[in-house]
Amino acid sequence: MILAVLFANAEGNILIERFHGVPAEERLHWRSFLVKLGADNLRGVKNEELLVACHKSVYIVYTVLGDVSIYVVGKDAYDELALSEVIFTITSAVKDVCGKPPTERRFLDKYGRICLCLDEIVWKGYLENTEKDRIKRLIRLKPPTEF
Amino acid sequence: MAQPLVKKDDDRDDEAEYSPFMGIEKGAVLQEARVFNDPQLDARRCSQVITKLLYLLNQGETFTKTEATEVFFAVTKLFQSKDMGLRRMVYLMIKEISPSADEVIIVTSSLMKDMNSKIDMYRANAIRVLCRITDGTLLAQIERYLKQAIVDKNPIVASAALVSGIHLLQTNPEIVKRWSNEVQESVQSRAAFVQFHALGLLHQIRQNDRLAVSKLVSSLTRGAVRSPLAQCLLIRYTSQVICESGNNTQSGDRPFYDFLESCLRHKSEMVIFEAARAITELNGVTSRELNPAITVLQLFLSSSKPVLRFAAVRTLNKVAMIHPTSVTNCNIDMESLISDQNRSIATLAITTLLKTGNESSVDRLMKQITNFMSDIADEFKIVVVEAIRSLCQKFPLKYRSLMNFLSNILREEGGFEYKKAIVDSIVILIREIPDAKETGLLHLCEFIEDCEFTYLSTQILHFLGIEGPKTSDPSKYIRFIYNRVHLENATVRAGAVSTLAKFGAAVDELKPRIFVLLRRCLFDSDDEVRDRATLYLNTLGGDGSVVETDKAVKDFLFGPFDIPLVNLETGLKNYEPSEEAFDIDSVPKEVKSQPLAEKKASGKKPTGLGAPPSGPPSTADAYQRALSSIPEFANFGNLFKSSAPVELTEAETEYAVNVVKHIFDRHVVFQYNCTNTIPEQLLEHVIVIVDNSEADEFSEAFSKPLKSLPYDSPGQIFVAFEKPEGVPTLGKFSNVLKFIVREVDPTTGEAEDDGVEDEYQLEDLEIVSADYTLKVGVSNFRNAWESMGPDFERVDEYGLGPRESLAEAVNTVINLLGLQPCEGTEVVPPNSRSHTCLLSGVFIGNIKVLVRLSFGLDGPKDVAMKLTVRSEDETVSDAIHEIVASG
Repeated sequence: MILAVLFANAEGNILIERFHGVPAEERLHWRSFLVKLGADNLRGVKNEELLVACHKSVYIVYTVLGDVSIYVVGKDAYDELALSEVIFTITSAVKDVCGKPPTERRFLDKYGRICLCLDEIVWKGYLENTEKDRIKRLIRLKPPTEF
Repeated sequence: MAQPLVKKDDDRDDEAEYSPFMGIEKGAVLQEARVFNDPQLDARRCSQVITKLLYLLNQGETFTKTEATEVFFAVTKLFQSKDMGLRRMVYLMIKEISPSADEVIIVTSSLMKDMNSKIDMYRANAIRVLCRITDGTLLAQIERYLKQAIVDKNPIVASAALVSGIHLLQTNPEIVKRWSNEVQESVQSRAAFVQFHALGLLHQIRQNDRLAVSKLVSSLTRGAVRSPLAQCLLIRYTSQVICESGNNTQSGDRPFYDFLESCLRHKSEMVIFEAARAITELNGVTSRELNPAITVLQLFLSSSKPVLRFAAVRTLNKVAMIHPTSVTNCNIDMESLISDQNRSIATLAITTLLKTGNESSVDRLMKQITNFMSDIADEFKIVVVEAIRSLCQKFPLKYRSLMNFLSNILREEGGFEYKKAIVDSIVILIREIPDAKETGLLHLCEFIEDCEFTYLSTQILHFLGIEGPKTSDPSKYIRFIYNRVHLENATVRAGAVSTLAKFGAAVDELKPRIFVLLRRCLFDSDDEVRDRATLYLNTLGGDGSVVETDKAVKDFLFGPFDIPLVNLETGLKNYEPSEEAFDIDSVPKEVKSQPLAEKKASGKKPTGLGAPPSGPPSTADAYQRALSSIPEFANFGNLFKSSAPVELTEAETEYAVNVVKHIFDRHVVFQYNCTNTIPEQLLEHVIVIVDNSEADEFSEAFSKPLKSLPYDSPGQIFVAFEKPEGVPTLGKFSNVLKFIVREVDPTTGEAEDDGVEDEYQLEDLEIVSADYTLKVGVSNFRNAWESMGPDFERVDEYGLGPRESLAEAVNTVINLLGLQPCEGTEVVPPNSRSHTCLLSGVFIGNIKVLVRLSFGLDGPKDVAMKLTVRSEDETVSDAIHEIVASG
C-alpha cells in the first residue's frame, strides 16, 4: 500500500498531500516527520536524486525537483524499489506538465494538471500507471497511443 | 485584471510572491463555484474553480456537510459540458468530495451513461468514480458492465475495472469473487499493466485456495510475464508456494528454485532484487542456493542508485543475522558504504559489518566507525551502539577496544537516549565479562563527573554501590562518588550518600573514612540528603571504627525491598497519625495478580541499568526469605532452586492456581499461588490434597493451608515433601484444591454465614531432572573446561532416534538437563549435519558441572549424540548421564 504522497515547498509548507489508509490523527505526525526528514537531508541534493529511509516496516523514498520536495511512503509490497518506481513516475509527470523542474510558482500554476496526474498514477494506495506519455494523454481524456 | 507588471526574467522571490492561490479563502471559492450553475458554461473558468477547490482540500481544509453537498450538486451540472478537460476535472472532483450515500443517486445516471459511452476514456473514468462512491446495491446493478470492462480491448478500461475490483474486494468480496473467469482471461492480456493488475486481483481472489495459487504460479512461471511489476508479484507468490510446500528432500531440489534463480538474470533491477530477496528468505536455505543471490546483491552495493544500495544492504543485513559467513564476501564493498552520503545506508552497512566481522577485523572496523559516528543522528548511533554491544558479547576477548570505543563516544555530545544506550551497554559488558569490570566502572565514574542527566547519574551511582565494593581496590571510586555531594543537584547528592554508605557497609577498612564523609553530609541544604546521612551514620555501627557491619543492618539498608510499593502506598494512606508508629511489617507482601500482558512484559530479559539484576537473584532471595519465615521450613537449610511458576489451571477459570517448586537438599516444597476470580465467593480453609502415588520416594512432611481466599487477593498454600538427600529424585503428583465456599453479596461485600464444601481438580505436577540443576553461565567455556580437569570426566554415546531436525534434538537435550547454553552454541545453523553445544551449571549440592554435547545426523533423520561431562564430583557426572539415559 502506498500510504502517502506529499509535496512540500522549500520552506516545508505542504502543497499537496494524499494519504491512503492512514488514520486522520496520524497524518499530522507524518506530515511533520517527512518535512523534518527533508529539511535534515535534502539540502544540496541534486534534482531527482533519490533518498531513502525506513522506519520499522514502512519505507520512505524522497527527492527534490526544482523548488518542490516530493515524499512517497509505502509498506508491504511497496518497498523502497517499488516506491522508487512510483516517485520516478511522479517526477517525470510533473516535469512533463511543468516543462522543466518547477519553481514553486510554476508548480502552483499547473496545480490542477498535477492533481490529475497523481490521480492517474496512484489510486487509493495502488500504483496504476507508470508511463508518462500515457498519463499525459489520459489527463486530457485522450486514449493511449499504443492502443 | 490589475496585476502588477512582472518582468519576463522575474526572479524566484517575485514568482513566489504572486502565487495563484495567494489569499485564497474557502468562502470566496464556494461563491465562485456558482459559475457551475451558469446556463452558458465557461469550461476554462470552471476548471480554475475546481483547481482552487482541490487546492483547499489538499491543504487540509474541510467542507461542512452543507458546503460539500452544495459543491457536489453544482459539480454534477458540469456533466452537460462536452469539454474533455473539464470532464476529467469533474471525475476527480467527485472522487475528492466523496458524496454521502443519499446523494450518490444524483450522479449515478450520468456516470452509468458515461460507462456505456462510445468514448473509451469516459468509460474508464466513470468506472473508477462509480466504484469509489458506490455501495453494495448499486454494485450489483453495474456488475454486468464491470465484468465486460475487465475484458475490454482498451487496456485503460480493463485496468480501471481491475483496480476497482481490487478495492471492491475489501467491501464486497462475494461479488468480486464471481469475476474470476474474466480476471483469469485478462491475466493473459498483451498489455503489461492489465496483466499486472489482473494478477494482483486474481491472487487476492484465490489467496485462500492453496492449490489454485500453486496452479497459477506453475502456469505463469512457464510463460512470459510482460511487466516487471507483475514479475515481482509472481516472485512473491512463488516464494509463498515454496514456503507452504516445504522442502523436497527426496531429490534435494526445491520446487521453483530454478525460476527464482533465472529471475536473477532479468533485465529489470526490480525483478532481480525481488528474486534475490525471495531466495535469501527461503526456509533453511543452503549456501549453494544462497550464493547467486548474494552475488547480485553484492553488485547492487556499488550501484550508483541509492535506492538499490539501500535495498541491497538492508537485505544483506537480514541475511547476516542467520548466515553471517555467506555475507563475508561482501565486506569490502560494504566497508566503502560506511562513507555513503545517505546515512541510512551507512548505518545498515556498519551494523552488517559488525555482524559478519571476525575477531581479527574488530580493531580496523572500530577505527572506521569512530570517524563515522560524528556525523550521524542519535537514532542511528543507538543502532550502532547496540550492534557493538552484541559484538563484544560475541568476542569477549576484544572487550578492551570495544569498551574504549564506548567510553570515547560517551564523552562526546549526545541526547539522553543515546547516552543511556551507551551506559546500558557498558553495564551489560561489566556484568557479562568479569575482566571488563574495573575499566568499565572507571569509565562510568569519569562519565558522572560531567553528566547532565540526573537519571543516568543516580543509576550509575546505584550500580557503583553494588559492583564497586567487590573490586580489588574499592577506595579509588570514593573520590568520584564524593565529588557528586559537592557538585550536583539534591537527587544525585542523595544517591551519592547511599552509595558511599554501601561502600562503608561492605568494606570494613573504608568505614572510618566513609564516616568522615557522611558526617559532612549532615549539613547539606536538602533534607533527604541529611536524612540519609543520619540514617546511615546511626545504623552502620556508631563510631565508624573498623568493625564488620551487622548482616541484619545490611539487609535492612541495602537488601531488596520486598514489599510491593502499591501495598506500601495503601498502608501509608490508611495510617492515621497517632502515638503508635507505622509498622512496616503490617504491610502485606503478596502481589496482586497482574494482567497477562503485564506478566509477559515483566518476563523480558533484564537489560542495562533500567532493569538491574533484580530478576532472578532477587526472586530467589525473596523466596528464601519468605520460606524461612515459616517456622516449619526453617530447618530445611539453604534453598537450592525455585522453579518458574507452573500453571495448574487453564487461563480465565474460576480459580487461578500456579505452583513454584522449591528444591532443598532433603526436601521439596510446593508453593501453590491461588487467586479467586469470582467476586461473589469467599473461599475458606483452602488446602491442596496432593497424591504422590506416582512419586513414592517422596513422603509428605507438612502442609500449610490458607485460612481465607477473598476475591482477587492472592494467597499461598505450601506443601512440603521429604526426599532422599542430594539425589535427583523424580516423580509425578496429582493435586486437588479443597475449600469451603461462602456466597458474598457484591453490593455490600458481606459473606453469608453458611459455607459449602467444594473441591476443584488441578493439573498434575512433575519433579523433573532439570529441577535439580541451576543455569549458571561461564564467560570462557574453554578455560573453565581446562581448569575443571578430566578427573571426573564421563563420556558416553547415545542414539536419539529419528528427530524432526538437529536443532530440535539439541533443544530437547538442553531442556532435559536444565543447564545454561554457553557462547551461543544453542543455535544450530540451518542444514548443518553436526553440531557441538556447550552447557554449564550447578547441580544440587552446589557442584559445578560442564557439559559438551556433540550431535551428528546418522542417516536422514536419526540423531546420534556424544555426551562428555566434567564436574567436581564423579557421582554428579554419572547423574547427568543417568538423566540423559532415562530421558
